[in-house]
Amino acid sequence: MFQYVLRRLLVAVPMLLGAMSIVFFAMRILPGDPCVAMMGDQATSAALADCTKHLGLHRPLAVQYADYIWRSVQLDFGTSLRQGYPVSEYIGRMFPHTLILVLAAAVVAALVGVPIGIISALQRRNPLVDYPLRIFALLGLSMPVFWLGILLLMFFSLRFDLFPLIGGGDLEGVMTMIRSGELFTYPGDFFAGVLDVLHHLTLPALALGFTLAATVSRLSRSAMLEVIGQDYIRTARAKGQVERMVVYKHALRNMLVPLLTIIGLFVAIALTGTVLTETVFTRPGLGKMLVDSINARDYPLAQGAITVFTMTIILVNLLVDMAYALADPRITYK
Amino acid sequence: MTNLRLRSSVLVTAAAMLAAFALLILAAPFHAEAQRKKVLNIAAKEPDTLDPHSSTLGQSQAIVRFMFRGLTRFAVKDGKVTTAEVEPDLAESWTTSADGTIWTFKLRKGVQFHKGFGEMTAEDVKFSFERQINKTPGTRYGVNLDVIKSIEVVNPHTVQIVLKAYDAIFLLRMVGYQQGYIVSKKAAEKHEQFKWSPIGTGPFYFERHSPREKIILKAFDKFAGGRPQIDEVHWFDVPEDSTKLIGLEKGTFDMLYPEAVTADFADQVKKMGMTIDRRGPGGQERFYINMTHKPFDDIRVRRAFMHAIDRKAIKETMYPGGLAKLASSCVPPGYFGHVPMTFPEHDPEKAKKLLAEAGHPNGFTVKPYFISKSFFYPKVLTLAQEQLKKVGITVEMQIVEHAVFHENIRKNLNPFVLYGGTRITDADPWLSLFFDSKEIPDGGANKGTNFAHYRNIDDLLHAGRVERDQKKRASIYAEAQKRMEKDLVCLPISDVPNQWARNQKRVTNPFDAEYGEYSLHYGNNYPELLKIN
Repeated sequence: MFQYVLRRLLVAVPMLLGAMSIVFFAMRILPGDPCVAMMGDQATSAALADCTKHLGLHRPLAVQYADYIWRSVQLDFGTSLRQGYPVSEYIGRMFPHTLILVLAAAVVAALVGVPIGIISALQRRNPLVDYPLRIFALLGLSMPVFWLGILLLMFFSLRFDLFPLIGGGDLEGVMTMIRSGELFTYPGDFFAGVLDVLHHLTLPALALGFTLAATVSRLSRSAMLEVIGQDYIRTARAKGQVERMVVYKHALRNMLVPLLTIIGLFVAIALTGTVLTETVFTRPGLGKMLVDSINARDYPLAQGAITVFTMTIILVNLLVDMAYALADPRITYK
Repeated sequence: MTNLRLRSSVLVTAAAMLAAFALLILAAPFHAEAQRKKVLNIAAKEPDTLDPHSSTLGQSQAIVRFMFRGLTRFAVKDGKVTTAEVEPDLAESWTTSADGTIWTFKLRKGVQFHKGFGEMTAEDVKFSFERQINKTPGTRYGVNLDVIKSIEVVNPHTVQIVLKAYDAIFLLRMVGYQQGYIVSKKAAEKHEQFKWSPIGTGPFYFERHSPREKIILKAFDKFAGGRPQIDEVHWFDVPEDSTKLIGLEKGTFDMLYPEAVTADFADQVKKMGMTIDRRGPGGQERFYINMTHKPFDDIRVRRAFMHAIDRKAIKETMYPGGLAKLASSCVPPGYFGHVPMTFPEHDPEKAKKLLAEAGHPNGFTVKPYFISKSFFYPKVLTLAQEQLKKVGITVEMQIVEHAVFHENIRKNLNPFVLYGGTRITDADPWLSLFFDSKEIPDGGANKGTNFAHYRNIDDLLHAGRVERDQKKRASIYAEAQKRMEKDLVCLPISDVPNQWARNQKRVTNPFDAEYGEYSLHYGNNYPELLKIN
């Protein structure tokens, strides 16, 4: 197992390097210039030349690339062209917001999507159950997150004033308290901070979670259908076991492996979903930061964000593969 | 079976109760402390910097005015903030030598910098201008101070500035705006990242920045004009105008700096019973026609172009009623030297005739025509495209990113260029940037903004720069506008004011909402005068 993980991690290095190189060149092939983007109509020729030189963009592309890779190896991702913050610090501040959004959305999607998928698979011959669930799935698939998000905001934030309109809560404060150990000294403040973060998280997580739940339900429905057709299910039924027990004891546990695959896929989908969710709910986060940095041609920031995205997806896939072995004793890695 | 069913129903009930409980707790509002303090909540985009000498984006320039001041400021007259007149601010008084090249400023005593950085002195003034003249990386406005030859500290409260030549708009350059802001020398030298640890003398000081969330400013007790009534300013990063509007209605925000004020936006603000603060002259949206680009090198084609464009229709579609004013000159009103100009009236028939005369009886096609996907650009161009089509000029639009658009127009890829923007409020800098032959973009190193490739007023621009009599200066620029009127090189469409939405039940401003205050990029010259009820 250990060897397997090591091997996978080693394979991840060229993957990461490849992704970083693609982003590096893609950003530069993209027409447009960070200095022009920053200065807009104030850009005089002299000022533009100064800016280009100051940012080191006047150097040959190969030199810039070599510099970028060499620095990245030393974990120095440069500074944001626009705001001047070190990229790693910036991403470090944004990533937790995106992470908890993805996790919370995953919980919502799983809590809603998996049961619906299972029920619709088991009750597929009962149109009274199957059709409404399918319609729900279709709705979720066709309802864009920004639309659902605005609806939720108009309803729960503006009309009933139950949730805040913008922001992500004081996540930084909460994390500082965890790091410094203050959470034990001031558990009350810590608890209030966590609640505040959750308060801000609820609507975005619901919006993103619901749109993802549809996909999850479709996938878990087919996963369940596959399992329920297996021989051991027939055997279990032949033993005369109650249907409920067949599902609980035999089918669900065996569904875990396809379900894990779904979760792996799901993280990638959820990460892309954060772009719109963060925009609608005006939350800080990586997704929106990535889009903005591409628009501003903030090369180091965009490169850093994509590196983190790639790393996350590689890592999640690795974890999923490892979890297979836990879920199914027949799977072992050497 | 019964047992199982019972168990699952208990489970379901428990889960439902838990969910309801969680919702209740989460929904409980947390705003106990905010109510005691007077907090001004502003929704705008996030500034890219708080260093006043490097802020070019509208939101950045708007926020730095809360923290920084200059030697002079735009004068308040009859309850209105004026455009071309200045009054003392950080400088108490000034004198100028007979030839107008030596300026001696006496600084106000006892002006304090934020966060204990001490009293503002002549050293800080010298430093503030020199860091821009020396092109410290990131500073953008050094070019506006090129007139300065040297800066001498006479004593801590007197600074002498020697100019290379007489400069008619020197006091305007010293206004607290862009290059004119005075920063703390000690702070700028100490903090490597001055843009996120700005120290000025303005009414509010910088407290905290949570990237992509908000910036918190606090009232400065020792502000030379007296502590502002507002305790804190929370500047939220809200990119979506629809979210800003919901927030205004809900009370989350007191003031909005929208991306664009459309009729729909104005209607919604009005419906909520809120106010829109309009500040002129704002930006001007106009066309420059490249007079060296075929077939526009033929003046008849340029005239046909202008006859084809229905300026009023574009203005009314984009900004119905009071949302903007129909532009009256290639030098916007509110700028020193502005005189009204006349432009070929909208007449498609005349346009067709002129095109036929010029050898284009069936019109011609402009392809590809690059236009930014942002701001007013695609909308205005689509309207113009329809109008041009009616006289036979087909424009095949290619919508590109804003940065690409800026790049392409500097490569002379568009025969006529749609452009917007604001400058120091005097005809000299404005005309120098857009009509001086030195600013003709050559597609390479020279990325100037003389998109018309106009060379006909260089002599006037030179004469205007050395003329000391304001009346004569005005007549020089009047002459320049007359020449441009004859040569048909620019067609201004709308003068769009700077507009903010404000919850006037909560926040009051001493200036009239309708053009009571003049502003360039920022909405408030005097944010210290805002009050929260």
